[in-house]
Amino acid sequence: MKLHWRIWVLIAVLVACALFIFPPGLLFQNGVTIQGIEKNSTEYIQGLRNGMIITSINSIAINNVEDYNNALPKIFLNNSETTKITMAADGNNFVFFAQDGFNFMVTDIQKTRLKTGLDLSGGARALVKAANKTLSESEVNDLIAITNQRSNGYGIKDITIKPVKDLSGNNYMLIEVAGATTSDMQDLVLSQGKFEGKIGNITIFSGGKDISHVERSGQQSGIEACYANENGGEYCRFRFPISLTEEAAKRQAAVTGNLTISLENPEYLSEKLDLYLDDNLMDSLFISKDLKGQVATQILIQGSGSGKDRSEAIADAQKEMSKLQTILITGSLPYKLEIVKLDTISPTLGREFTKNLIILAAVVFVLISVVLFIRYRKIKITSSVILTMFSEAFITLGIAALINWNLDAPSIAGIIAGMGTGVNDQIVIIDESVSNVQASLKERIKNAFFIIIGAFFTIIASMLPLFWAGAGMLKGFALTTILSVSVGILITRPAFAEIIRKIIKD
Amino acid sequence: MENQEQLTQVKKAERWFDKNYKLLMLIPIMVTIVCFVYLVIFYSQNQSFILKDVSLSGGTTITLNGNIDADKLQSALEQKYQGNFVLRKLTDVRSGQVLAVVVETPLDSNIVKADIESALGIQLTSENSSIEFTGSNLSNNFYNQLMIALLISFVLMSIVIFFLFKTFIPSIAVIFAAFSDIVMPLALIDFLGIRVSAAGIAAFLMLVGYSVDTDILLTTRALKKREGTLNKRIFGAFKVGILMTLTALFAVLPAFFIVTGLPDSFRQIFLILALGLVADIINTWLTNVGIIKWYCTKKGIN
Repeated sequence: MKLHWRIWVLIAVLVACALFIFPPGLLFQNGVTIQGIEKNSTEYIQGLRNGMIITSINSIAINNVEDYNNALPKIFLNNSETTKITMAADGNNFVFFAQDGFNFMVTDIQKTRLKTGLDLSGGARALVKAANKTLSESEVNDLIAITNQRSNGYGIKDITIKPVKDLSGNNYMLIEVAGATTSDMQDLVLSQGKFEGKIGNITIFSGGKDISHVERSGQQSGIEACYANENGGEYCRFRFPISLTEEAAKRQAAVTGNLTISLENPEYLSEKLDLYLDDNLMDSLFISKDLKGQVATQILIQGSGSGKDRSEAIADAQKEMSKLQTILITGSLPYKLEIVKLDTISPTLGREFTKNLIILAAVVFVLISVVLFIRYRKIKITSSVILTMFSEAFITLGIAALINWNLDAPSIAGIIAGMGTGVNDQIVIIDESVSNVQASLKERIKNAFFIIIGAFFTIIASMLPLFWAGAGMLKGFALTTILSVSVGILITRPAFAEIIRKIIKD
Repeated sequence: MENQEQLTQVKKAERWFDKNYKLLMLIPIMVTIVCFVYLVIFYSQNQSFILKDVSLSGGTTITLNGNIDADKLQSALEQKYQGNFVLRKLTDVRSGQVLAVVVETPLDSNIVKADIESALGIQLTSENSSIEFTGSNLSNNFYNQLMIALLISFVLMSIVIFFLFKTFIPSIAVIFAAFSDIVMPLALIDFLGIRVSAAGIAAFLMLVGYSVDTDILLTTRALKKREGTLNKRIFGAFKVGILMTLTALFAVLPAFFIVTGLPDSFRQIFLILALGLVADIINTWLTNVGIIKWYCTKKGIN
């Protein structure tokens, strides 16, 4: 049977979506996924990263989290002893020593690339703005960087922080955390960030008041050099100057005046400058011996980043540098934050909702099939409508997975409502095709497409404002509706018209 | 013989329609006017076109999963809040089982959480409950923006319709039908005292685009096609249009009547779409059809 190219396009897109939603590699893959790996831990230095899949540890096969949990007591028989670990992850073997467990968490491998939103998977979400102040876009970006830092300090994993904007031009920070509680979120957002530079126990400067300038770019800012790491991989050093107020510089001079030259590193003083964020040590910087007792208002901040190769080390160093610069500029925020919306959704209820959504989709399919069969009394026509409807929903899900969209309840509502309009358009095509008039079949289908395109543009026009209104909280509804009708008009309906043409000719 | 009888019946129906279509046209117009006046009165009393739920007026929604003594909670909260809360059960229609109990109040989430904990004698955790809090400033902002979005959506849809038909009266007829499709369910929802969420307003936006496809079908068939008589074309469009609305209703109604264990915001989207689709049946097939027939007769399109 010769198929029209439009039908081939539909088949190709369906196959591509199926492969994308259910990647064969993941479908049959056993193991556990690494999450929340601690930076600068032995595992990280050895090259293990978030998202890597562990398949065995010390020759014990790891197929899922249960296997992993059962394997740990066997591997770490004696808590106090250091154990040699050979870990197979992503096709490579990583050998290192560990004591009493690993510096990361693991989860079961997700078999699909579909991601569910907070209201279906559970977790906490906060929409945050500055109290009595309108934040600019760059201020929101700085706020996001600092909140990211603080969330690490609080030990919160699996956090997503992004900027959102509404129709009135207000900028917000949206934080979503899987498995967090209301109080975790309030602690993270509402307690003011505190940044301090200390030598020993003495505070030399505090973020927000003692630092007058941070040089983010320019000749003196950037990566200095890269070196090979003793444990494998590479590390790169960065530096950038900051200006301290006179008062802070004097404090530094007084403290450094009492320090001696380090015996191990004769280029530096005996103590380091420790940078603290919310009382958590973020970094320790060497102090050059030339600064001893000097009232220096401009000091050079140095640090490093590491990676398994040069490019990863450079990227890490740049990230670290930017992190430090942000902390130094906005370490203590010059404004108070306000949580304007705070939701915590129970994962139990979310699972119940997801199950019911699947049942709902099935019920909708069955009911529409029955109505269409009663009307047309032809299995071929009814099944082609159902097939098209299914294709539209499936391709929409495929695109959602491709763009990494979190499917929340409004997004699913958009897909189901989109299915409704899809069926309407197919009814128009069927009606034009079977109408008993003189015009050619091609002409009649062209007529049908005028109506379909008209309906398509009215849906797009009506849903567009939702992208911006209400801080984009209902964006999912607009996105999936628009995706669904667009998939319909570009891929499924042209193919459906060909299928109907063929059924009628036969 | 039978065919002859059918033909006479069709002719009779056509004659009746030709005589009465202007009168039929007035029914939805009258209903729209009544609904609109009701909404204006409603607005003057409430300073809003809808009864806002906590996502639009500010406050807390707590959803408690599982087997909760709703009556005990109701009476405990009644004593504390004196009616300043709403409590409802989320029941699975198929099993009749209470999936969750939802408490909505304008109070702060920490206060409500503590009061529910003391009333039920349980600790609310992220496993057994969901807590949603919206500050009053943000919710007012949300409401205003969604209303602006609804207006923009309507204007954009009108531009598309004018561009599509390029003639004034048929375009206005479609736009009026869309307007009535919004006004009627809105008035009914207010009349029934249903509190509308942010997702509910999004459903009204979708209604703007969703409900006009039968109007586009009717107008296109009446104006652009020249096969058969005008009445035949209108009747053909009616048969297809009713089937379209019916299938659309079958897509949205199960979320309200069959599979009920779904988020409230989700179910409200479908309730509003369903009401809009029902309103669209009378607006398209009584008013819009009347305007189009009158327009075609005037312009000599037969």
